[in-house]
Amino acid sequence: MPFISKDWRSPGEAWVKTGEGWEKKKVLENCKSITFCKRENSEEADEKENRVANVDSSSTQPHCHITIKCTKEIAGFNELDEAVKRLDFRSAARDVRRSNYVRALLSLLVGRNTTALSGCAQRALLATLEEVAGHAADTIHDPRSLRRLVDGLRSLRAAERGACWGGPLGSQILWHQHTAKIERILNTVAQMKINEPGPEIHPKLLQLPEECIREIILRLSDHRDLLSSAQACEQMAAIVGEQRVWRELTMFHFDQQQIDLVMPKDKENVDWKSVYHSLKKSFGINEDRMYAEMLSLCRYCRCLFWRSLGHPCIADQCPEFRAKLQEAGGIAPPSPVPPSAFLKFFSL
Amino acid sequence: MPNIKLQSSDGETFEVDVEIAKCSVTIKTMLEDLGMDDEEEEVVPLPNVNSAILRKVIHWATYHKDDPPPPEDDENKEKRTDDISSWDADFLKVDQGTLFELILAANYLDIKGLLDVTCKTVANMIKGKAPEEIRKTFNIKNDFTASEEEQVRKENEWCEEK
Repeated sequence: MPFISKDWRSPGEAWVKTGEGWEKKKVLENCKSITFCKRENSEEADEKENRVANVDSSSTQPHCHITIKCTKEIAGFNELDEAVKRLDFRSAARDVRRSNYVRALLSLLVGRNTTALSGCAQRALLATLEEVAGHAADTIHDPRSLRRLVDGLRSLRAAERGACWGGPLGSQILWHQHTAKIERILNTVAQMKINEPGPEIHPKLLQLPEECIREIILRLSDHRDLLSSAQACEQMAAIVGEQRVWRELTMFHFDQQQIDLVMPKDKENVDWKSVYHSLKKSFGINEDRMYAEMLSLCRYCRCLFWRSLGHPCIADQCPEFRAKLQEAGGIAPPSPVPPSAFLKFFSL
Repeated sequence: MPNIKLQSSDGETFEVDVEIAKCSVTIKTMLEDLGMDDEEEEVVPLPNVNSAILRKVIHWATYHKDDPPPPEDDENKEKRTDDISSWDADFLKVDQGTLFELILAANYLDIKGLLDVTCKTVANMIKGKAPEEIRKTFNIKNDFTASEEEQVRKENEWCEEK
């Protein structure tokens, strides 16, 4: 019997220009953005698609179907570049909620080993990275993670220059493009400059009452940020030195069970800073709590998506399936995918 | 819906829905204590907030008027500094002075949600920066002596190794 796929009567595919080049897309999933593109010609098609996603989020939510158990045979179909494009990493890089996750993923991917990825994947990653660097240059957001990315980029460049027998193979033109892009990104980062607020801007941080500064410091979730703000000036050092700051940091990262394990017997005067550090040493920092927004995996349609944007789910579209699920004990929530788990889908 | 008049420090009055004004705990308790439920044309003076900031605060409160009330417990606060909705992120694209004035106003008027999101925005500005960069971002003068600085640095290095 001939195999008739699900979309046997689809109108076919169309070539769509994106930021990374031309791409084949199903006409159906794409028709809305095409009509939209015709109206405005000023910007890239890619960005328009994002805008369409904003205008009518039910039509083109970024999502990507994957095969979960990645065997050697499947690996060819789970393509990283497609995931990067479909999940709209480029606009995610500029979104407050998603940019930290994208950076964490990039810092795992970009480095010496990037040369082992496919050419398309490399191009998609570098394009995302350029977006991240451009955004960082505008907002000076989190230079530490940016520096890590830049280090990765430098080692990628070194790996590329050291190409010889057994080194990175592939299209020379592509490598030239990569080199140019890497140069551009490094330049953007090098030119990044913090604009000091002028004297006419009032009030300054230290003119706020102490309780307001404390509120700000209590919201820092990384101990390195606490330590460097303590080194900035005496007033902040005094606040960071308070037990409450470290206690809340510990409570945020670890659960009560873990805390009980390292709690000293003398509960009267606990040094929460050392409690935090010994917990960090024995358990490590839990990735799940670090990002406001993570990619999620829908258990039913095997699809990766951003939780706040949602995805066209089989459980929503098919009432029978939904009824069956409800019978079986309710619809399970999608599971979060931390960066390291994301890489496993692509056997990286 | 009954309205209420709020007067800023520079004398401008704003007419606001009472329900919106009540997201400020300060105004809410003031109204409850004074019992201003009847049809009186009373003006509430807010001497610590100027009109530009009050306008922004009302704008924020109007948008968030249907939000569920924030959890009461003070401990275990939400620490994800990037957990800011995109509307708030756009709303807070202002200069540092305005941002800090909003923090002051949220603190004075006791609006938890606004205080939370503004503090997160500032915390985001601190995130990932070295001490020198933090000083530069907020125009802070380094008031440590060289030996003090060295001592703090050593202390922190010791923490990192542990």
